[in-house]
Amino acid sequence: MVSVLLIDDDTELSKLLEEYLQSEQFDLHAAHDGPSGLDKALANHYSAVVLDVMLPGMSGLDVLKQLRQKSSVPVLMLTARGSELDRILGLELGADDYLPKPFNPRELVARLRAILRRTSNTGSSVSSQPVHLAGVELHPESRSVTCNGKPVSLTGAEFDLLYTFLRNPGKIISREDLTQAALGRPMSPMDRSIDVHVSNLRRKLGPYDGEQERVKAIRGSGYVYLLPGEQ
Amino acid sequence: MKYRSLFLKIFMSFWLTMALTIGVLTLMSRISNTESLPERANRGPLREGLTLYSEAAIRIYEREGSKALEEFVRRSLQESGTEIYLFDAAGTPLTPNNAESVATVVKELQANPQDQPPRLFPLFTGATRATWGRFVVSATGKPYIFVARFRQAGGPPPFFTAPRIAVSILIAGVVCYLLALYLTSPVKKLKAVVQQFAEGNLDVRVSPQLRSRQDELADLGREFDHMAERIAALISAQKRLLADISHELRSPLARLTVALELARKNTTGKGIAALDRIELESERVNSLVGQLLALTRLESGAERVPPECVALEDLAQQVIDDANYEAKPHHKEVKVLQLAACRVRGSSELLRSGIENVIRNAIRYTAEGTAVEVSLTCPPGAAVLTVRDYGPGVPEAELTHIFEPFYRVGEARERSSGGVGLGLSIADRTIKLHGGSIRAENVPGGLLITIELPISPSPAMVQSVAEKMPVA
Repeated sequence: MVSVLLIDDDTELSKLLEEYLQSEQFDLHAAHDGPSGLDKALANHYSAVVLDVMLPGMSGLDVLKQLRQKSSVPVLMLTARGSELDRILGLELGADDYLPKPFNPRELVARLRAILRRTSNTGSSVSSQPVHLAGVELHPESRSVTCNGKPVSLTGAEFDLLYTFLRNPGKIISREDLTQAALGRPMSPMDRSIDVHVSNLRRKLGPYDGEQERVKAIRGSGYVYLLPGEQ
Repeated sequence: MKYRSLFLKIFMSFWLTMALTIGVLTLMSRISNTESLPERANRGPLREGLTLYSEAAIRIYEREGSKALEEFVRRSLQESGTEIYLFDAAGTPLTPNNAESVATVVKELQANPQDQPPRLFPLFTGATRATWGRFVVSATGKPYIFVARFRQAGGPPPFFTAPRIAVSILIAGVVCYLLALYLTSPVKKLKAVVQQFAEGNLDVRVSPQLRSRQDELADLGREFDHMAERIAALISAQKRLLADISHELRSPLARLTVALELARKNTTGKGIAALDRIELESERVNSLVGQLLALTRLESGAERVPPECVALEDLAQQVIDDANYEAKPHHKEVKVLQLAACRVRGSSELLRSGIENVIRNAIRYTAEGTAVEVSLTCPPGAAVLTVRDYGPGVPEAELTHIFEPFYRVGEARERSSGGVGLGLSIADRTIKLHGGSIRAENVPGGLLITIELPISPSPAMVQSVAEKMPVA
């Protein structure tokens, strides 16, 4: 059984989900407000946290912000449908993925499995050799990254995204492939989370000396990781 | 500054009035100075005084001799500043004479000896001194010529000289400028605040900027603040209501979906079909709630357009990619005819949903095996996006109604098409919110929807936005 924490103020929904996830081999624990959810998440070792953005008292985004200061547990956000701002903010604050509410529990299970598969993959990667490329150093084993000698703090999804880029510099990688690599799930229509992750990665690494961006968007195709001087 | 601005109007009209006043005053004083002085010298107290003077001078000369006369002249000059000259009838000076104007006067008097006083005599020889002369016959019957040079009696020396006029008009200009500034600056502040308020910043108030004033303009500012307070309260109440409705409607739906999946796990055979139906219907309710909320948000004014610069061609490409993904299973397709680079100002999320609704609508109605054609062109001043489908089209009379909420065209376009009739309304409100227009027209074998948006003038902002939101 994999233990997962659900932070959602809807107690009835929590009970139903508990029952449903039980049958899918998840051990679901629930918290119904922000502060208690944060305490629980920090006190126990959950494999993943499912966090509703709309919480009474303390907003889900605040919970996420505080959680990220101390823990790198994978976080799946539940956002109100149509509230793009919450979604983008959440991903920027370090959530690993999001699911618009109301969601199909099958989809929730699929997303959770994707996140867990990705985090458990750590260590048994194809190669655990460090990668050096144009000032960026990536260590798969410790999952740490330095840029021009300075350590860069990346979320799980951003790390996997960068790893994918560094193994294929100068090649155009489609958004579908990037979603699969970084989020561990196929891309769904209207899904912009990969763009937010790329944007975060860009911001955290910064441009090359000559103001040249490291990651370039190719319209209709995907993204490409550029080497210095490449256009 | 605008040509017709209130500031300019106040400033120019006040200044013009002041300049005119100065001009009229100058003219009036000129007229009184030039015309009245010689007249005054020949009548009234001035003439009386001068006559007494002349008689006194002659009497002193005749009785006490030229020494006493000189003493009298000296004293007169000392005490009143009046120079006195006395000549005999032949024009021989009896007093020391220097001034040239005096000789001229004497000559003129001699030329017209019959012209006995009183007589008008134009005697202006300088700005500050006037010369006055007459024949006087003494008590002993001897004729003399008496001339006096005196300070211009009456009015002060002319104040309105040309440089002084220029300076006073200039000073008047400065005063009028400050006055106009004082009157119009609160209006300007008010305008800036109203503008910010209209752009969606509901927290701006006028009062802090007009605190030092107590006049009608400050009252106007306070009234505006009252109004802003109320509007802000109404809008935030509306937003809260929308959020509450959204939450209250969706929570049961979320539970329903989970319960449904639980039921599915324990159901076999015929029950499955019923559960599928429940899922489909709950999905419909869900999307209806979402669309209704989107529409209400757009119409309530709770949604505001950020001044972001959006690359419309990238946005269109994303929507088209997504739409293609959904259209493929139905053997339909979205084809791009042309995508010109267009920058518009607004919210990329709102614009995306607007364009998406139009393209999805087209996919819904285009016949199987056909392609929806999208093109984006950028004629000067506007971005034009056209979406053409190969469907049944819409009767001419109903073309304008298809943007109304829940409007359905005939029975042919009913629920089987899958929509609830809100997509185009949302698109319409979104485009209008961005200052654009949307219209529909029938073309051979289908419907053409044209979206026009004003393009954004500043390409500098695109860079920063593109950096924030990468698009592929």
